[in-house]
Amino acid sequence: MSHPPPSPIYTLRGAGGPLNSLHFRCYGEDAPLLFSGSGKGCIHIWNLNTRRTNKVIEGHSGSSIIWVCTKRSKDTLISQGRDMQICLWDLGEGRCDLLDSVWTGSVGFCQCSMLETSPISSLLAFAGQQTEEIKIIELPSKIQICTLMPVAKVGMVMCINLFQPDSCPGPLLLAGYEEGSLLLWDVTQQSILSQVKAHPDPVMCLTFDPTRLRGISGSSEKNLSSWKLDEKNNLQLQGGVTLANPGVSQLCIREDGKLLASAGWDSRVRVFGWKKLRPLAVLQYHTDMVLSVAFSDHQDPRQRLMAAGSKDQRISLWSLYNES
Amino acid sequence: LQRNTSVSDSDSVRLEVSACLRCLSSSDSSRNITVLQTLLSYLDEASHGAAQRAQFSRSHYSRTLRVLITTIEADWVHRLTARQREELWDALFLRGPPEQALLVLLEAIGELSPSTSLDHVVTITEKFLQDGRLTNLLWSYCVGSAQSDSPQLRETLLGRLSALPDIMANKLHHNISPLFLPQQYYPLLASAMLTALQRTCQALRGQHQPDNINCSLAFVSQTLGKLCLQGHGGLVLAAMAPRLSACTRSDMVWQRVCWKLFESIPQRSMECVLTALVLAVSGIVGNLVLRNKKAEFVITHKLLLLQYKYETGVLRTVLGYLAADRDRRPLLIQVLRCICQAWANPSAVKHTPMEQQLYVSKALLLSVSLLKDQELQDLRSELLQCLLGGMQSHLDSSVLRIRCVGMVVGECLSSRMDNADTKLKFEYEQDEETRELLSLMTPSGWCEPESESLQETKELAPNTCSVASQRRQTTPPLAPTDPDSDLDSDDELTPYDMTEDQEVSQTSPPRYLRDCLESLMSSEDAMRVELSLKAADPLVRRNAFAAREISVQMSKVLLHMEDKYNIQGFLILRHAAMVALAVTDCIPVTQYLTTEFYSLNYSLRQRLDMLEVLVAAAQELSLPTTDKKNSSIISALDVAELPPFQGHDPVHWRQVVEKRIQSKTRRISKGASQPATAKATPNRYAPVAGYFFFPLLKNYDKPEVTFDLLGSDHLVLGRLIHSLGLFMHLAVNAPVAAQMGSALLDFVWTVRYHTDQMVRRGVLFAVCSVFLSMPSQNLLLDLGDMLFETRTWLTDVAEGDPDADCRSLAVQSLVLLDKSLKKQLKDPQSPSLES
Repeated sequence: MSHPPPSPIYTLRGAGGPLNSLHFRCYGEDAPLLFSGSGKGCIHIWNLNTRRTNKVIEGHSGSSIIWVCTKRSKDTLISQGRDMQICLWDLGEGRCDLLDSVWTGSVGFCQCSMLETSPISSLLAFAGQQTEEIKIIELPSKIQICTLMPVAKVGMVMCINLFQPDSCPGPLLLAGYEEGSLLLWDVTQQSILSQVKAHPDPVMCLTFDPTRLRGISGSSEKNLSSWKLDEKNNLQLQGGVTLANPGVSQLCIREDGKLLASAGWDSRVRVFGWKKLRPLAVLQYHTDMVLSVAFSDHQDPRQRLMAAGSKDQRISLWSLYNES
Repeated sequence: LQRNTSVSDSDSVRLEVSACLRCLSSSDSSRNITVLQTLLSYLDEASHGAAQRAQFSRSHYSRTLRVLITTIEADWVHRLTARQREELWDALFLRGPPEQALLVLLEAIGELSPSTSLDHVVTITEKFLQDGRLTNLLWSYCVGSAQSDSPQLRETLLGRLSALPDIMANKLHHNISPLFLPQQYYPLLASAMLTALQRTCQALRGQHQPDNINCSLAFVSQTLGKLCLQGHGGLVLAAMAPRLSACTRSDMVWQRVCWKLFESIPQRSMECVLTALVLAVSGIVGNLVLRNKKAEFVITHKLLLLQYKYETGVLRTVLGYLAADRDRRPLLIQVLRCICQAWANPSAVKHTPMEQQLYVSKALLLSVSLLKDQELQDLRSELLQCLLGGMQSHLDSSVLRIRCVGMVVGECLSSRMDNADTKLKFEYEQDEETRELLSLMTPSGWCEPESESLQETKELAPNTCSVASQRRQTTPPLAPTDPDSDLDSDDELTPYDMTEDQEVSQTSPPRYLRDCLESLMSSEDAMRVELSLKAADPLVRRNAFAAREISVQMSKVLLHMEDKYNIQGFLILRHAAMVALAVTDCIPVTQYLTTEFYSLNYSLRQRLDMLEVLVAAAQELSLPTTDKKNSSIISALDVAELPPFQGHDPVHWRQVVEKRIQSKTRRISKGASQPATAKATPNRYAPVAGYFFFPLLKNYDKPEVTFDLLGSDHLVLGRLIHSLGLFMHLAVNAPVAAQMGSALLDFVWTVRYHTDQMVRRGVLFAVCSVFLSMPSQNLLLDLGDMLFETRTWLTDVAEGDPDADCRSLAVQSLVLLDKSLKKQLKDPQSPSLES
C-alpha cells in the first residue's frame, strides 16, 4: 500500500496575482530567499525563515513579470516583463536599485536564459523582436553577440535554454518553437546543429540536464517528450511520459538529477524520477493552473524545497525525497 | 499294416494311460511316482514316438490333468517332496499343450475353494505365465499345431485368455499376485503376441525353420479383437503399437504380417481395435480402410462425424493417417466433403450439441490444413460453398460460442483458400477455444514415423539450445548501452499513491433534474451531455417528486438517446438512469416501456434495452429496503455489478434459480442462523408486478413491419420470455403470482419447441420460475391438465434436447414441480382442500 500523497509544508499567500516565475536563492549565510514574479508586475522577495515578504519590487510598470533570476556572484536580480524590458536590480545591503535595463522587443512569453561564463560576465539569451528571432548579449556590457534566426519555418520561439557543454568550446542553445520543433544552436557558429520534432503542438517549456545531456520538453498536449544529446550533438527522441491531463507550463530538474517536477495546467504538480521518468507523486493543492515550479539550491540536501506557483495566487512549498 | 500299427499304437497308449490314471485315482500311492514319470515321458521327445506323443496330447492330456486336479487333495500328493512335486506334478502342466493346460488350470481355479490346493494351482498358473507358455500357445495356433481345434473350444479359450485377470480376481480377491493384475497381464499377453508375430516373420523369411511352414494369424487377430472388444485395447496396444510401428517402418515382411493381422480381425471387433489403435498410433494398419468396408466406415465416418468424445490428437491422427498415403488421399477428400456438409448444415448448427459442432469444426480445419494446394484448387468451389453457407448458419445462431467458432473457422478457411487480400476478418475475443482452433491450421502435429519425429526433436534440441545460447551471448553486450541500468536508479524513490490523478472535466454537472433533462435533449456539448448522463441516476433518486413530473418524458429521451460522443460507459449510465426512473415512478414508466416494446420503429437493441431496464427495475423493487440511503447504495451497487449485455450469459439466471432452490431447501443447521435483525419491510414489487408483466403478454403474435417476434426476431423473443420468467420469479408471495403463472405457462406453450436454443432456454427458465413462485395449492387447481402435459414435455426435453443447458434446466423444473406437487398432496392444511 503506497502512502497518500504529501501535503505542502507551508504556503505563501499575498502575491496578488498569478505566479509566473519562481527562483530560490538559499546558499550562503543569509536567510534563504524565494523570488516570485507575478502577473500583476510585482517581484516578491520571500524570506523562507520568517515566511513573509522581505520586499516587493514593482519595476515593470504593471506588466506581467515572466521571469526572475539572480546572478550567483553578486546580489543582482534579473527580471523580465511583458513590457519588453529586462531589468537588472542591485539587491546588495538592503537596496533595490535598478541598475540597467535591456529592451527586447519580444511580445511573446518566452523566458530568458542566462549562462554565467565567468564571475563577472554572463550571457543572456532572449527572444527578439521578430517572432523566430533569438538574441544573445553579454552582460554587463550589453554587447550583442549574435542573433539566431532559423531558415525553416518553425514559428514563434517559445522557450530557450543556454548551456555550456564539456565537449564544445562555445555555448549551445536549445530552443523550442511554436510548430513543435526543438532546435539545437551552436552560438559561436550561429548554426543549427540538430533539429527534432518533439511535439505536434507548441513546445511550452523545456529543461535540460547538462551533466547527463538529457532533456525533456512539455507542450499543450498530454505527452512529455524526453530527448538526448549524443556525442555528435544530435538530438534523439527517447520517448516520454503520458500525463492524465494535457498542458504543462514548466518543467524543472532538481540539482542532484534525481527528480523532475512538472507544473500542470490541471492544477497538479507531478514529480517523476529523472532517470527513468517513473511517476512518483501527484501533488494536489492548487485550485488553478500551476504556472511555475522550482527546486531550491540549499547546500544541506535535507533542507531542500520545491516551490510551485499557481494562477490561484498562492505559492506552495514542499519537502520531497530529502532523506538521502 | 501301417494302419494296424497305428491302431495298435493308439490302443496301447490308451490302455497305458487308463491304467496310470486308475492308479492315480486309487488311494494306493506306492507306484504313483513312477506313474507320473510314465505320463511325463509322453511329453518328452526321447522316450516315445511322434505318433504316440501326438495321440497322448490330443486325446489324453486334458483327461490326465483333470485326474491330477481331482487327486490334488490325496495323501500321496502331500507326501511328495517339494522337488518331486515340482519335477513330476507341476511339470505335467507346464510341458504339455498349453491351451489344454490353461483351460484345465482355470477350470480348477474356478472350482476349488480357498485352500492350499488352490494356492498350489495358482502357483502353477503363475509359473505358466512366467515360463512364456502364452507365447507357445499363440504360436501353436499360428502354425496350426494346436491339437484340438473346434470353434467352441477356440471361443472358450479366447474368453479365458482375455478375461484371465477377472477370473483370478473373482477368486482370489485381495490375495492376488501382481502378475494377474491387468496392468501386468495384458502387456505380457501383448508381448506374447509380438513374439508370435516375430516368429511368423522369421518363418516367412525361412530363418531357423528348416522347412517352410504355413502360418495363420487368425488366432492372434481374434485374441486382439477379443481384448479390444472387452475394453483392454488401451493396455494391449500401448505395449504393442510402438514396437509394431518401429518394425513396420523398414521391414517389408513385418508390414505384411501386420496388415494381415489387422485384416483378419473379426468384423464385430474391428471398430474397437481401430479406435484403440488410433488412440495409440495409426501407421501400422496400412491401407486397411481401402479393403475393409467396416474399417472405412469407422475411420471416415464414425470417428469423425458420429462420435465426438475424442481429443484433438485423435482427430489429428485419423486425418493424418488418411492424408499420409497416396492411395488414401481420395478418402481424405471424400471425408472433407462430408465434414464440410456437416459443418455448413444449418439444421446441424441448430440441433447438434455444441461439443459436436466444435469437434466437426476441428476436423474441418485439420483436414483443410492437410490438403495440398492442387487439391485445394480442385475443391475450391465446394469449400467456398461450404464456407458461405456455414458462415451464415453459424452467424445466425444466438449462441455466442457457435458464432465465435463460425468466425474462427471462416477466417481460417478463407485465409487458406485465398492468397489474395480477400480474406475474411472478424472481431472476436481470443480465448482458449479460439486459440486452439487457430492453432490447428498450422500443420505441426502429425507425423507418422514416431521415431523420426523423435530424432527430429533430438536434432532440433541442440539447434534451439544453440539459438538460445547465441541469444544469451548477444544480450550482455546490449546491456551496458542501456542508459537505465545505472546503479543509482529511481528505484530507491518510493512512489506515493497516484490513484487520485484522474482527468479533470471543465464543466460542472447539472444540479437540477430539469437542467439535466434539458441538456440531454438539446445540448450539443459532449462534456455537458456526459455529465448530465452521469448525474441523471443520482438526481432522479434524490428528487423523487421532480422525477415523477418528468419521468415518462425523460424515459423517452433516454430510450432514444444515441452514443453520439462516444461516452465511456454510455450503456451502463443510460441503463442506470432509466432504471432509476422506472423505480422512482414505477407505474407510468413501465406502462410507457411496455407499450413501446411492441410499437413500430424501434431497433432490436432498443427493445432489448427496454427489457433490461424493466428487469433491473423489478429486481431493485423486489429487494427489501431498510432506509432510503441504503437503497440507493444497494441499487447503485447492483447496477454496477450488472454488465450491460447479460443476455448471452446463461449463468446469471442459473445463479438466480439456484439461489432460489437453495433458499427453498430446508436445512436444519440454517434455521438458527437466520439474522434476528431482519426487519419486515413492504415488498415494493408485489403491488406493481402486474404492470411489468401483463402488458408484455399482449400483442406478441401481431407481426409488425419492423418487428416479427415469432419469426426472425427470436433473439428478442428469447430475452422477452426470460424477462417474463424473471418477473414471475420476483413475484413470489405476491397475490398476483397465481394468475401470472398460468398466463405465463399459456404463453410459453406455443414456443416450447422453438428451434433457437436461446428461446428454449428462456422458456425453461420461465417454467422453472413458475414452479418456484406459484403457490403450490394453485398449481393443481389452476393449471390442472396442463401440468401433466408440461411434465411430459419436460421429461422429453430433459432426455432429448441437444443443448446441455436446456437439459439441466428441464431437470431442475421437473424436480421443482415434483417437490411442489408432493408438498401440496401431503399437506392437509392447504387452503385448496379446505375450500
